[in-house]
Amino acid sequence: MATRDESAPLGRFRTGLASLLAPTTERDRSRRRIAALAAPFLVLATFGAFVPLATMVRMSTSASNFAIEGLTLAAYERLFTSILAAVPGAGIDANPVYGEVIWNSLWFGAATTLASVVIGVAIAHGLEKYDLPREGLLVTLISFPISLPGIVAAFMMIVWFGKTGLLTNVLTVFTGAGPNAVALTGQPSGTLLAITGLFFGYLYSMIPRATFLLRGSYAEVNTDAEEAARSLGATPWQTFRYVTLPQIRPGIVGALILTFRTALAIFGTVLVLKALSVVTFRFSQEISVGFDLQMASALATVFFVFTVLFTFLSLRLTSAEVAG
Amino acid sequence: MSTPGADAGDTADSNTGTGRSVPARDPGRFGRLSAAVGRRVITALILVTVVFLIGPVVFTFVASFAGEWTGVLPSGFVTLDNWKQALGLSSTLGASRGLGGSTTIPIIGATIPLPETLSLSMALALGGVFINLLVGVPIAYAVTRYDFYGQSWLNTFAVLPVVPGIILGIAFLRTYPNFPSAVALMIGYSLLKAPYMVLAVQSSFESMDLRQIEESARSLGASWPRTFLTVVVPNAKQGILSGAIVCWTLAAAEFNFSYIVYSRGPKPFSLFLFENISNNPFLRAAAAISIYFLIVVVVTALLRSTGERGFSIGGVR
Repeated sequence: MATRDESAPLGRFRTGLASLLAPTTERDRSRRRIAALAAPFLVLATFGAFVPLATMVRMSTSASNFAIEGLTLAAYERLFTSILAAVPGAGIDANPVYGEVIWNSLWFGAATTLASVVIGVAIAHGLEKYDLPREGLLVTLISFPISLPGIVAAFMMIVWFGKTGLLTNVLTVFTGAGPNAVALTGQPSGTLLAITGLFFGYLYSMIPRATFLLRGSYAEVNTDAEEAARSLGATPWQTFRYVTLPQIRPGIVGALILTFRTALAIFGTVLVLKALSVVTFRFSQEISVGFDLQMASALATVFFVFTVLFTFLSLRLTSAEVAG
Repeated sequence: MSTPGADAGDTADSNTGTGRSVPARDPGRFGRLSAAVGRRVITALILVTVVFLIGPVVFTFVASFAGEWTGVLPSGFVTLDNWKQALGLSSTLGASRGLGGSTTIPIIGATIPLPETLSLSMALALGGVFINLLVGVPIAYAVTRYDFYGQSWLNTFAVLPVVPGIILGIAFLRTYPNFPSAVALMIGYSLLKAPYMVLAVQSSFESMDLRQIEESARSLGASWPRTFLTVVVPNAKQGILSGAIVCWTLAAAEFNFSYIVYSRGPKPFSLFLFENISNNPFLRAAAAISIYFLIVVVVTALLRSTGERGFSIGGVR
């Protein structure tokens, strides 16, 4: 049955498999070892990630909500019309809700990422360059929130900014306004106060991560060049601007990319603080209200493709370090 | 990148130019300002950040021992009621909403009440860590020790959390609808936390001369599997241990995935936290969250004893 064209790769596959099972050369043996070492991870990745993700993509095109049957692109059609309807001037008459949540995710993620990376650079700089007392303790304290889930970060914001929160009490005393006017959490969704509260909630999770990504690049800075610049009369700011910053620029780009990813994936904080509808929050609404699994899957597929493409393309294009 | 002004040479202030131009000797107003107060501003920023991050943690912990919070600050110290209710140890009305009641386990003469949700969650996380050990240690060794086709891609997939928890949760809904929640959660935990294990183990492997260790053992007659299991792995036990501790803690608190996937059966710890935060009085929620703080503090202390500096492994979740 097999023609010559088919038999060539098949034959190569067969000899490859044979050399894995019964290796003859040392090179074959080491290839068999690599295969054996990678196998458990690939099994987990297949059944834990690839199969579920493929099912999710298939589900987004299913005609039925309760089983995978039929093929329809209705969910994507609704999704993309909604995205287009949110674009001003496009002139499409549809409910722009999905366009809005995507826009919210992007601008809010970008704003919080920028703020956390700027603060992260300052903190990493201070920790690395200054002789601060109890530096080890400071590092431990700043890294502590990395272990806290988003819902706990939200609770921490309630402790600071809730209607009986610590800072709210202080502000109430100083401004004379009631706690309802100055509290940043517990406000109606979408108000400026509520979004500011959520902003701090995002920072709570992202500043420690950004700081630790940047500490890695600070550890590799050439301190000789900095000292030379200082001894030639450069001010600390000039030294930072012209000597340190060019060296840590790849680290900053990497931190921006990875922190932005984190920002897009935050869910628990939004679920508790409910200030702004972002994509992750929309998932829980799709599933808890009406169990619209096709729509949730379609949105998840678009979201997943975007994060993967964004991460890999930007890390490749900027040649930033992948791991922190 | 050079500006026309820098070529002409008649603009005195090249300080505001692009990165390529030579900075002026005169530091400018901003430079003088930063020289004067820069260090103090950054030190203050670090302090403010630490207070912002840690202040509410301390306050929550302290408030969990308070009797009531009606005024500006909580009052009525010291009571253990909140803790008892959060742990499900007291037989009040609210206790049934606590950690799902408690089972007593007999341990040599004494019976210890064990909160069910807490112990189940710890067991689930432990299951995830067990899978992670089987999966993470070999892959970390493969990508550190060998050069092969696709190595860098495999490395990237192993150390980068590619799938966000909430996406994986949605993907699990239709794929494994008949799995018991516990099994689905365990698989998900292991996949989501695998990067932390791989990174920790890899950093151990990178500090060893793997090729030499392996070749010495082989030349002394050990087979390759024996070399891997009895020479390479024990040498990396520090990284394996700290990776396991980090994975376990993060898995116990994984919320996004658990919230979507959980359907029935005993609740994972993170959902118990969520229920406390959204439904319960502040002080009891404070006690519930403090349970997790205690776990993290113990874990951080353990990590320090293995030589790691806290939860600094990996940057993203």
